Amino acid sequence: MRIASRGLPPLVAGLAIAYPFLVPNYYLVYAGALTVMYAAMATSWNLLGGFTGYVSLGHSAFFGLGAYGTGLLVTRMDVPWVVALLVSALLVTVFAVGVGIAAVRVRGASFVIVSIALVSMMNLIVQGWRSLTGGSTGLQVPSPFPDLHRGETHMVFFYLFLALLALALASWWYVSRSRFGAGLRAIREDEDKAESLGVPTGAYKVTAFALSALFVALAGGLYALWFGSLDPIFVFSILIASSMVLMSLLGGVRHLFGPLLGALIVAPAGEYFLIALGETQIHLTATGLVLVLVVLFMPDGILARFSRRRAGPSIPDETAEQRLQGVAP
Amino acid sequence: MTSLRTEGLSKSFGGVLAVDGATVELREGKINGLIGPNGSGKTTFFNLITGMIRPDAGRVLYRDRDITRHSPHRIAHAGIGRTFQLCRVFPRMTVLENMLVAVRRTRLRELLAGLRDKGEVERARHWLRRMGIEHLEDAEARDLSYGQQKLLELAAVLMAEPELVLLDEPAGGVNPALIDRIVSLVRDLNAEGRTFLVVEHNMDMVMGMCDHVIVFDRGAPIAEGPPSAVRDDPKVLEAYLGV
Amino acid sequence: MNLLLQGLALGVLTGGLYALLASGLSLYFGVMRVVMVAHPAFLFLAAYLTYTVHTTLGLDPFLALPLTVPLFFALGVAVQRLLIARLAPENMAMMSVLLTFGIALTIEGLLGTFYTGSYKSVSMEYATRSLTIGGVHLPYDKIIAFWVAAITLLVLFAVLIKSRFGQSLRATIQHREAARLVGIQTERVAGYGFGVGLATAAVGGTVLALITPFFPASHWVWIGKLMAIIVVGGLGSVVGAALAAVLLGVVEGLVLVTVDATWATIMFYVFLFLTLLARPQGFFGGRLAHRF
Repeated sequence: MRIASRGLPPLVAGLAIAYPFLVPNYYLVYAGALTVMYAAMATSWNLLGGFTGYVSLGHSAFFGLGAYGTGLLVTRMDVPWVVALLVSALLVTVFAVGVGIAAVRVRGASFVIVSIALVSMMNLIVQGWRSLTGGSTGLQVPSPFPDLHRGETHMVFFYLFLALLALALASWWYVSRSRFGAGLRAIREDEDKAESLGVPTGAYKVTAFALSALFVALAGGLYALWFGSLDPIFVFSILIASSMVLMSLLGGVRHLFGPLLGALIVAPAGEYFLIALGETQIHLTATGLVLVLVVLFMPDGILARFSRRRAGPSIPDETAEQRLQGVAP
Repeated sequence: MTSLRTEGLSKSFGGVLAVDGATVELREGKINGLIGPNGSGKTTFFNLITGMIRPDAGRVLYRDRDITRHSPHRIAHAGIGRTFQLCRVFPRMTVLENMLVAVRRTRLRELLAGLRDKGEVERARHWLRRMGIEHLEDAEARDLSYGQQKLLELAAVLMAEPELVLLDEPAGGVNPALIDRIVSLVRDLNAEGRTFLVVEHNMDMVMGMCDHVIVFDRGAPIAEGPPSAVRDDPKVLEAYLGV
Repeated sequence: MNLLLQGLALGVLTGGLYALLASGLSLYFGVMRVVMVAHPAFLFLAAYLTYTVHTTLGLDPFLALPLTVPLFFALGVAVQRLLIARLAPENMAMMSVLLTFGIALTIEGLLGTFYTGSYKSVSMEYATRSLTIGGVHLPYDKIIAFWVAAITLLVLFAVLIKSRFGQSLRATIQHREAARLVGIQTERVAGYGFGVGLATAAVGGTVLALITPFFPASHWVWIGKLMAIIVVGGLGSVVGAALAAVLLGVVEGLVLVTVDATWATIMFYVFLFLTLLARPQGFFGGRLAHRF
């Protein structure tokens, strides 16, 4: 059993790398790339949400800013796409530090409000600033690979998003093993207590917030280069943010692979809905209902059901007492 | 030498003065007791010292350094550790993880160090051993009994290597055998050079353990001195009996 | 100068409406420490129901109220008792936001499916004219909205202050444990608190239908605006929210006439962020707020 679960990640990674060559058509490559993009974003979201327990419904702001930043650098300043992607992500991270300093001053529900406000505000600004962004008509970004046909482009971006996912997973894993990660988890459990133990909770939270924004911004930038056309209403929609939250919660926010698992379920389901039902609004209802059900009945996610069972609330006090007697004073 | 000194420390909540111009001095290397009737401002006083709430007026000095209005983590870095009235641990983290939360100073290299950093884990095990709960290191804290959680909380505070330790009702809700254990632990830790300030309702414990007792009433000290002197002070009786 | 007066007058009128729309949010937060993200979605559900009553039966939009108000009261009780009360208390704040967020998405999807995504509006002949006093134009629909909001709020305050239920509700808001000790059934009171909150959404929705065209995704804009109002006012304080609503309404009105609509809306977020930086517990009350 243990060996099986050890062997699982390399197996899944191998399958993921081979995926574009295993599927029969380019549509499935496209759907795969979209799923991996969401997985990368949900994993990045979980750098904040999973560790600190701060639920952000505003991460699409970073997605949108990353996308527009990259798009604008490429179209207005003729910057090579790789440079545009990195510079834009860096700028978004700096911006996130600023926002984070204000946002993490409040806890719980107030933080969620601030995050919602953030994405609404960005949406308004980008739509309003017509001369720069093209307003609600959107922004056209030239393809970085003009020689490839559409299917091959999907393939390239599938691997780019896969690399981003790997990076996000590695970061989560690294943080989870660090003292910094222990501090972040302590913030989730009891922030005042953590602070009293010397954890600079403000700085920790801002760092986690910015790190999480960085990867989401990279995903946004890649999205801009991939789709080639940006619609402010979509990229700054709260729906993208809620997808990240739903995926993470469904899979399990306390687990490295939780958001990935959630994305593997939610993103293909969304695509299926789109094909089966067409462009209706009922997919919103489906997303909403699943979120309600997960929050009510499975707030710890799917992976929590399979993870190691804890010792149970049954460690007898006597053993401690007896041991106390045995310890030389 | 003075460990901690407060000067005219005051805090009111909605017009009610919880701490009212408290001037208190703690001597280095002593076990100080802080007693007083319910609502006399003891816990608020703790919260003011540790920066959990900000005073309306007055100063807090630790080893002659002004730490008034410093954030709680900076006060912790200065060398003051505390426990909470209703014991607070991180329930969904393991005992060992609980131990590794404490940060002594903010250094990037330290923060990025692995959770299983060898030296730190050794230090954590050392303190768990002294508390007698080292066999529980992989259990989640919420699965521990209340007494074990109290010991864990104290151990986690000691990980930050405080020179002044504030204990808020260490004997609250624990059985007599454990109270004895805590008393002897505090004595040992004191003998190693740590200063203590203990809020406690258990008079036997306070009188038996403390070198110096401060009595609070209505947000300020009304008497202090060695336990025997305080016990016989008429002002103390008055405060407790409300005559 | 006249322009500023115009902005000021419009601001006061819309501020009154904002006060009504935000009052429900303050109630939910007071009784359950819940930030009810779905409140604006319910507002637009009420607007759509009003639209249906108006277009199919040809009735005045306000005649929809005898139907929507009791319906929404019952819905509110159901949401609290069947959904929110089930959440684990230790992570109530976060989980309730996600839960009500899910409800909001559900409602938006249903509205989009039944009514399509295009704009709808309810226009009454009497609401399209405007009153001119000393060069300031006051549209009748805004005046009606203001008075409906003012009357509803007065009724709400009267209920909260005078009635037995209101006293139990305020006791529950101030100190749940103590309220329970003196024999108040806090669970039931919390349910009714939600019912009353959603009933205000029924009234607010009808008014919104009268003054503005709407489509299913309209509620997002309002989440931001109303949240800003209750944070500036101090979470959980009904009076604070009402004061903040008028303040922000006036700011919005002034920016609207001097700059443009985008900046007028952005002002809400500016005030939200400034409040959090300067005084996270809000400006008009809300001693509860900083922890939630």
